[in-house]
Amino acid sequence: MTGVAESQAPLEAVLKDEIIRMYQEVAEQPEGTFHFYHGREAAELFGYSAEWLDRAPAGAVASFAGVGNPHERSQLKPGETVLDLGSGAGLDAIIASWQVGPDGRVIGVDLNPAMCVKAQAHVAATGMQMECREGGMENIPLPDASVDVVISNGVINLSFRKRRVLQEIFRVLRPGGRMSITDIVSAKQLSQSIVNDPKLWAS
Amino acid sequence: MFRLLEESGFSRVRSAVVPRFRFRKAATQDAAEAYGVKAVLMTALKPTAP
Repeated sequence: MTGVAESQAPLEAVLKDEIIRMYQEVAEQPEGTFHFYHGREAAELFGYSAEWLDRAPAGAVASFAGVGNPHERSQLKPGETVLDLGSGAGLDAIIASWQVGPDGRVIGVDLNPAMCVKAQAHVAATGMQMECREGGMENIPLPDASVDVVISNGVINLSFRKRRVLQEIFRVLRPGGRMSITDIVSAKQLSQSIVNDPKLWAS
Repeated sequence: MFRLLEESGFSRVRSAVVPRFRFRKAATQDAAEAYGVKAVLMTALKPTAP
């Protein structure tokens, strides 16, 4: 970490705590109101099929906090290895596991070990399997060239080091591998008051 | 992000706006619109040869 990123290190640590707190709150109190749409309402808004949402565990659907539908273009195939970066309560990992089937592999990575436990339980409840590793997207805890596809939903925008995150995605993908991510982008530089407010940044 | 993807070595970078994304709270949505904030779906490929 150098330059601006280094100077933002203390803020980055605060932000990490806020991200863990906020998304754990979505998972534990999905009936709450947040800045963003979440749960089934959000998933339906982004085109997740009713069949998926009816079939997935209610807890995984209720805690969904994505910003779009990465499955729309992921074109997952049976037998592929998929990384869900920022896997949260596991809805996207569940859908990926249905698509890659029993010969495929779904790996989640999440900052929050409690969310990893929750996601794995949700996936297991569908009869599928998922490995979830605690870790940050700036240092993905996977070897080089180890996955076929990276999916992610509303997570990369939370990092101060987006270039590093994308380099990490590139590193863990096999040559010929692909990514399908939905995320938030901004056409203008955010004001320092927003950047310095962990609650706004995390939402 | 599009540029960062290309600079990271990805090819066939494509993006499309998520048409129905918006924030729940009006104040947050207004601020987001002022900054041109939107949700996008991005796809990209890691080339088979460097």
